Order: sequence, then C-alpha cells, then structure tokens
Amino acid sequence: VPESSSESAVAHGRANDRAAEHGPLVTFGRYAGPATLILSSLADGAKHGYALTKDIEEFAGVRLAPGTLYEALSRLEGQGLIEAVPSDDRRRPYRLTAAGAQALRVHLADQRRVAEVGLRRLGKTWGSA
Amino acid sequence: VSRTDPSDADLRRVRQLLRWYPARWRRRYGDEFTELLLAEMAEQPSSPRRTANVIGNGLLARLTQAGLTNHELPPGEQVRAGLATVGCTLAAFAALAVAMLAQLATGWQWTSPHSAATTASTLVLTVAFACLVLIGVAAVVPVTWLTARAIVRRDQRLGGPAALAGLTTAVLVVGTRHFENGWPGTGGTGAHHGLVPGGLAAFGWASTLSVSSYWAHPGLLARFPLPEVGWMILSPLAFAGLIAGLALIVRRLELPGALQRYLAALATAAVPAAVAVLAGAASWVLDHGPGQTGLFQPGLVDGTGLAVMSAAVVVALRAVPATLRASRARGDFTSR
Repeated sequence: VPESSSESAVAHGRANDRAAEHGPLVTFGRYAGPATLILSSLADGAKHGYALTKDIEEFAGVRLAPGTLYEALSRLEGQGLIEAVPSDDRRRPYRLTAAGAQALRVHLADQRRVAEVGLRRLGKTWGSA
Repeated sequence: VSRTDPSDADLRRVRQLLRWYPARWRRRYGDEFTELLLAEMAEQPSSPRRTANVIGNGLLARLTQAGLTNHELPPGEQVRAGLATVGCTLAAFAALAVAMLAQLATGWQWTSPHSAATTASTLVLTVAFACLVLIGVAAVVPVTWLTARAIVRRDQRLGGPAALAGLTTAVLVVGTRHFENGWPGTGGTGAHHGLVPGGLAAFGWASTLSVSSYWAHPGLLARFPLPEVGWMILSPLAFAGLIAGLALIVRRLELPGALQRYLAALATAAVPAAVAVLAGAASWVLDHGPGQTGLFQPGLVDGTGLAVMSAAVVVALRAVPATLRASRARGDFTSR
C-alpha cells in the first residue's frame, strides 16, 4: 500500500470500529453499493466513466446515474482506493489501488458471509430451489 | 462508444448542469464528467431522472465543499471549510441576535420588562451574546494577524478577500456611526439601561436597521428618510461582503496546525454560546403571544429571525464535529 494512500485512508475516513472491522466502504453510507460496483468493475483493469457505467450495467444489471457515479468516484479517490490514470483523453480512466483491492476483498468477503447465511437459512426453512 | 460530435444544444445543457457543482469540483472532474454526460445524452437524449440526479449530487458536492457531509475532505481542507461554514453561519446568527438585543435594549431604556420571563431571557441573551462576541474576537485577531503577514509576504490570493473585508468593515462602521444618532432609545428614562450601555445599543440598532418588518409594508417604508432606506439596503450588502471576504480568507490562508486546533476549539465553544443565545431569544419570543402590545413585544421579524437562527445553529452543529476531527487528524500527522 502506498504510504500516501494509507495515510489518506486513515485521515479521511471516520476511524471507527466498524471501518476497522469491515473496511472503509462501510463509511460510504448510501454510496457503499455504487462504490462496491465501481471497485468490482475496476478489478480487471482501468476504465473511464462511461465504460464503468456500461460494464456495471452488464455484470450487475444496475445503471449508475452520472451524478451518483462521480460522487462515488470522488469518495473512492479521496480515500485512496482508486486513482486516476494519466491520460491525454478527456475521458480520464481510473484504476484500483492496492488499498482499494484490499477494501474490496474485505467488503465482498463480508457480503459473501451474509449471502451464505441467508441461503443456508432459506434452504433449511423453504428447501433448496 | 462511438459518437458524432455533440450538438451545441447538448453542450449547452451539459454546461448548465455542471453549474450545480462547485468550481473546485468542476476544475477536477468537469472535463471527464462532460464527456460522460454527452455519451449518456447520445444514448438517451432526454432524461428528467438523470437531470435530477446530477442536480442532487451537485448540491451534495457543494455541501461537501462546505464541510457539511460525511464525505470528509483532506484534513487541512476540511478544517478550513468547516471553520468558514461555522464562521458564516454564526455571523448571520449574530446579526439577527444583535437586532433582537437592540430591540430589547431600546425597550429597556424606557421601561422595565413586564414579565419575569422577558427579564430573564434578556439577561441570558445578553450574557451569552457577550460570550459569542469574545469567542469571535479571539478567532478574528490571530486570523487578521496571519492575513496581514501573508499579504506583506506578497500572497496574492489573499489581497482581494482582505480588501473586500476591509472595505466592507469600513462601510459598516462609518455608516453605523452615522445612523446611530437616530437611535430610538435616546431620551428614555434610563432607569433600567444598565444591561447594555446606550452607545453599544445604538450601534447595534443602527447596524441592523435592515432587519425590519417594514420590508413587508412598502407604504410605510416610503415615508422613511431616503438615506435611512439607502442604509437599510447598503448595510446587509456590506455585511454579506464582509462575511464572504472572511470566508475566502479562511479558505485560502495557510493555517498552522496549532492555530487550526485553536480555531476548531473556539468553533466548538461558540456552539453552546449560540444555543444559549437562541434559548434566550426563544424564551422572549414565546413568552409573548399575539395581541399583546408594549416595548418588549416581538414581531414577525423576530419569529422569522428565530427560525433562521435555529437553522444556523443546526448547520454549525453539523460542521463542528468533522472540523474538530480533521484538526486532530492533521495534528497527528504533522507531529510525526
């Protein structure tokens, strides 16, 4: 993790217990969902705004509105979880940082635990699909 | 996505939408956001939902720049934004409190309040306001000193805001000194005037002449002397200029870590003082129901003022915790 990213993540985020346990994305409030989708999209390489919108629509069936996309992007960049790639193109691409990859890993592991609990309970009570 | 050159109409619409965002955000994200919006418009030319989304997030970005959302800025920037926001809101708060105090002080010159609640609320209002003023002075003195030093060292970004603050202060002081001669407390019995000295009460009254319900009665306002009406228009503009100048100074000044923590502590102390002022004002306004008369009778402008002051306190309460947090975080990093 680059020093500036870790310092930024500590300084910008609310250093509370939830963030320490579940990663910085839990401090994003209603932007946690869009932020997770963006990080997931960037996990296989850099993308600019419109490419992110189309990719997320394809793999998640959700179309992020432009204002929401850029609010989440600016929060992710502010916390050092993504960074802009130098480019001559006006459509600036973004890529995941090491801190962003770790945050996504922690967040998705949390979500997987929740999904597993839900599916197990559903299976017990309602039977498997 | 491949697309043809955007039409002038699309470019115009995008530029209009971008104006909802603060200038700093536009400088950082404006080009790429324009490209995204143009690509979206090429796919779906009209979308009220998209427009609403951009406007909503633009306003949110403005609140963020003011240090008022949970999306915190880098620590130094967050402290400056928070201090500027608390300063602006409490300055507006103080102007309305001065108008109320001036009204009460005038009444006190002629007679004593006819209820214990009004007497108590005037006392609370006066003492709490004095605390607020002391806190304001304790904040302004080091900031003024640092600003003067930065200007002497040719920091060009501070010249404009400092000139604006200086000019508007001069207008406010000279104008207020001139119009305070018409203070309605002059000639009162003075039997109860010990709470606020007459000179201060007159100054407060003249500086807040514009806080008046006469705006709702143009016929009556037209009978005022023309210079007085001119002052009622000029003084709030000068006050707004002063606040804007001070806010720009705080946003642009390089504040040392210790001073940031000191100012954040003052901002924290200012909030309970403002709450006490608000409690005193509310107690006075609520003590008098409609239909009563007398020198201590609050009017519509006082009720409205109370609502605005409450909103100002809510905004300050929202800004202070993040400012304190950021000032401490900055201290942690600078001390390493």
